[in-house]
Order: sequence, then C-alpha cells, then structure tokens
Amino acid sequence: MALKYDEHNKYHRLARTGVITVISLIVLLWVWWLVSTIIQKTMDFNTSPLATPGEAFVALFDFFNNGDPIEHRSMWSWIWSSLSKFIKGFLLALVLALPVGLLMGYFKILREFFTPWVEVLRPIAPIAWAPIFVIIFQATNGSIMVVFVGIFFPLLTNIVFGVQKIDTKLLDAAKTLGASRMQIFVKVVVPSTVPYLMNGVKVGLGVGWMCIVAAELYNTTLSGIGYFVKFMIDNASYDYAFAGIIIIAVLGLLTTGVAEYASKCISRRMGLDA
Amino acid sequence: MSEEIVILGKKYSSKDRVRADRTDKLYEDIPEGETLLKIEDLNVTYRTDNSTTVAVDNISFDIKKGELLSIVGPSGCGKSTILRCIGGLLQPTSGKITIGDKECTTAGSDRGMVFQDFALFPWRSVRRNIEFGLEIAGVPKEERRERSTRYLKAMGLEEYADHRIHELSGGMKQRVGIARAMIMHPAVILMDEPFGALDAQTRNILQHSLVEVLKNSHRTIIFVTHSVDEAIYLSDRILVLSKRPATIHNILEVPGERPRERAAPEYAELRRKILDYLESQNTIF
Ligand SMILES: Nc1ncnc2c1ncn2[C@@H]1O[C@H](COP(=O)(O)OP(=O)(O)O)[C@@H](O)[C@H]1O
Ligand SMILES: [Mg+2]
Repeated sequence: MALKYDEHNKYHRLARTGVITVISLIVLLWVWWLVSTIIQKTMDFNTSPLATPGEAFVALFDFFNNGDPIEHRSMWSWIWSSLSKFIKGFLLALVLALPVGLLMGYFKILREFFTPWVEVLRPIAPIAWAPIFVIIFQATNGSIMVVFVGIFFPLLTNIVFGVQKIDTKLLDAAKTLGASRMQIFVKVVVPSTVPYLMNGVKVGLGVGWMCIVAAELYNTTLSGIGYFVKFMIDNASYDYAFAGIIIIAVLGLLTTGVAEYASKCISRRMGLDA
Repeated sequence: MSEEIVILGKKYSSKDRVRADRTDKLYEDIPEGETLLKIEDLNVTYRTDNSTTVAVDNISFDIKKGELLSIVGPSGCGKSTILRCIGGLLQPTSGKITIGDKECTTAGSDRGMVFQDFALFPWRSVRRNIEFGLEIAGVPKEERRERSTRYLKAMGLEEYADHRIHELSGGMKQRVGIARAMIMHPAVILMDEPFGALDAQTRNILQHSLVEVLKNSHRTIIFVTHSVDEAIYLSDRILVLSKRPATIHNILEVPGERPRERAAPEYAELRRKILDYLESQNTIF
C-alpha cells in the first residue's frame, strides 16, 4: 500500500504536522541530553547545574506525586500561586488598557498627548520594575504589577492601532444612518477593534508569563513556580529546578495556545480577520 | 404630529421617531415632482500639503421629489465629492445644500447612502445590518424585526437573514446595502456607483431589482454611475458632468416608463450624445 501525502487532505496535513512536531521534540530532548551529559563529564562539578532530561523528568514525577522536596507543598499550589498572580495582572491590564486605548484611538488630542508617555515607558523591560515594585507593593502585588506592565503596553498599542485602522467607510455608513458620535463609538469603533484587541491579548499573555516567572525570582515568600526554580537552585536541587522549567514552558505554551484559539474563534464570529 | 405613541410599553414622541426613521414624512407637504433638494453654488477645493485641487466648481442643480437622477461624468471629475457633500460626510468649501427648507450641514438619516464597496458591518448578520439605523433611532426590537423582515423579502434575502456578510456574494451584499438605506425612509438616497464592483450580469439583475423596488415604494434617488447604459435604464434625468473641476454640461430627460427595454432604439441617440461628450472629456496622455 502506497502512502502518499495529499496537501488537500485535512488528516494528512494534521498527521504531517504531528509527526514532524514529535520528531522535533525528540531531537530537542536529545540535544538537551547531549549538552548536559557533556557538561557533566567535562566539568568538574559535584552535581552539574544542567540536569539531564532523565533526571529532570524523574524530579518532575516526584514533584507531581510528593510535592517539592523541602517543604513538601504540592506542585499545584506552587503553580496556582503563579497563575493567580498572572490572571490578576492580566485582568488589571485589560480593564485599564481597553478604555485608555479606545479613547486614545478615538480622540486625536488624547493620542497626541499620551503617545510620548507610552513611547518613553514601553521600551523599558517590565522586569526592570520588579525590584522596585516588590519593595513598594510587597512580593505578591509587586509580581502582579510587573505582569500588569508587561501586558498593558502590547494591549494598549494594539487597541490604539486597531481604532485607527477602522474602515472609514463604516464610519460614513453609520453617520448616514443617523448615528451620533457616541453611538458610532459603541456600535462601530468598539466591535471593529476586537480582533486587534485579541492580537494584543495574544502578545500580552506571552510577555506576561515571562514577567511572572521573572518577577518571582525577586520574591522572598515561598510562592510561585518562578520562585520554586530559584529555591531549588539555591538548594542545589538542579533536577527539581529543571522540572520547574519544564512546567513553565508547558504553561506558557498553554496560555498562548488558548489565546490563539480564542482569538481565532472570536475573529471568525465577528466576521473579521486581523 | 407630536402626540405620544406607546410601543410595547415604551413611550415615544412620535415626532422624534418620524425624525429619526421616516424622514420622508417630514416632507410630505412637498408634492411629487417638486424640488426637494437644492444644490446652490457648490464648490469643493481639496487642500493637501503642497497642492490645492478644485474638484467641484460652482455647481447648482435641483432634485425633484420622487425622481431618480443619475450623475455621469469622466472618472475623477468629482462625482463622489458632490455626493459626499450632499450626504454631509464632507464640508463643501462654499455653497449651500438644502432639503425642503432645512440646510444640510452634517450627516443624518434623512440622507441615506449606498456605497460602491458596500460598507456593511462584518460583525453583524444580514438582518442586523439592515436594522442598524432603526436601532440607532431607538425603534423597539419587535418593530425592527417586522420591518427588516419586509425588506429582507423585498430584496430576496430571506434565506440569508442570519448569515454573516462574508458569506454573501457581491450582489447579495449590495442588496443588503440598499435595504439598509431604504428601511430608514430617508428623504433622499445617495448611491455612489452602487453596482460598480459587480460583474455585468449581477449588475443587470440588481438594476432590475431596483426598478422593481421603486415600483412599489416611491423614493428620491441620486445615482452616480460611470455607465451610460445604466443611467439610461434607471433614471428620470441624467446630469452630465465635465472633466475635473466638475461643471454641469447638460441635464437630460430620459423619456419612458420603467421598466425599460435595454438597448431600445429610442435611446440610441441619447446614448450616443452622452458617450460622445464623455469621450471628448477624456484626458488621454
Ligand atoms: N481627500 C482628497 N484629497 C485630495 N484630493 C481628492 C480627495 N478626494 C478626491 N480628490 C480628488 O478630487 C477629484 C474628484 O474625486 P471624486 O469625487 O472621487 O471623483 P469621481 O467620483 O468622479 O471619480 C479627483 O481628482 C481626486 O483625485
Ligand atoms: Mg467616485
């Protein structure tokens, strides 16, 4: 039986992507194994800071079953404390960026006034705020604020951009149907900005997840998966640290995946592509 | 005219409702065939950083109630500009536009518009696109549905009521565009090359549909087109413009009741006359 790849068959395409992804991940693990083994062999460490994949997965399994090796707190409680901060930071960014972005997009004078602020603050790596925020807001709220800064700017710039990209013909159409400026804002500007907002959410979630992990490195309280990694490294439990890194990677993948999917669904429902 | 009406438990001043979604009623006292819309000394000069373009040069004309007036002219001569001024989407440099005795300065639902590229709201279904103006005017839901159903039927869109815009063909989209403008009963409907983006066959079908709709519901329409055949098939009068800056070359009456036979010999001379003029206005370089 000859198996021939058919570009126009959905299952063929899916199978192709699946097979290539699996091979790619296997090769990645192999490279990891190779590098960590070489380092362990050639360098004169007691324990190498670079755990092998085998060690990392054994540690991950133990972490999953018995919690962390020192405090014996469950894996889920470590993850949840990161996630809850992440979600709070995200919601705060959304609640603020949405009105500010819409208004900046709609009113030229606001855009002109606030653009310099945005352009000065935006290039600052959000994590640079972490030491300051942790002092001002304490560990938990400080981390939330770092996530907030990380997500706020991508959201804001995407929304402002989206408002300005509105098809002016739609505004004309609404005007000739009797819409006031306020009605145009609510019934035309807001809905046509949604795909851009979703794009901002996608970018923001990626940045935000990096922020929460990095911000937790400045924590002094036992909470969050980022702090877990630091805690394990300080304790020379490098295999557990790498288990933590694997969890961070998977959760990051999940958040952006969910955002990607939601954005696709919403854009399709709105009949818009952006 | 301003007694209170109660629809589904909500009170409305009937005057406001009429203002918002039956503006043709505001001009009921103007008889058919009398001047409804007056354009006086309209001048539009576009300014950019390093140039000024006179697009429309002191044009004056009238639109009579119940007529379909076509505007033809070489491309880029200022047809859209004139229409946008009437629609209130563009501020003329000088001149005056009045409906009845009211001067038009801003856009409003008394001047509906149909766009060449449809300008439908992609996040709304066909029905909700058609209902947009009624929603804006505060017409209650039940009544909106009833009225949009009538227009869906008239436009042959019943099956597509819940479809999204991107699922429709170009011809269907423009049917939605026309229904969305007509449902408001504007005093005048402005159509800017409404069938310009459609293929020849669809074009003919839509021209015919428009004639059918107008048979049952008298409307005042200004119809911009670059097709002389289309203008002859549809209009009561044809306004022929010169090349830019637009000035009026001629206003021609088209005899005969609609629906008209396409390419009827009686229109051959009229057709020839307009085409010859437009050709003479073509700037070939
Ligand atoms: N916003 C604008 N700024 C500058 N020039 C414009 C603008 N809009 C149109 N024009 C110019 O005005 C002239 C008339 O345009 P338009 O009314 O669109 O012509 P038509 O609809 O007859 O093809 C054209 O030469 C065009 O280049
Ligand atoms: Mg035009």
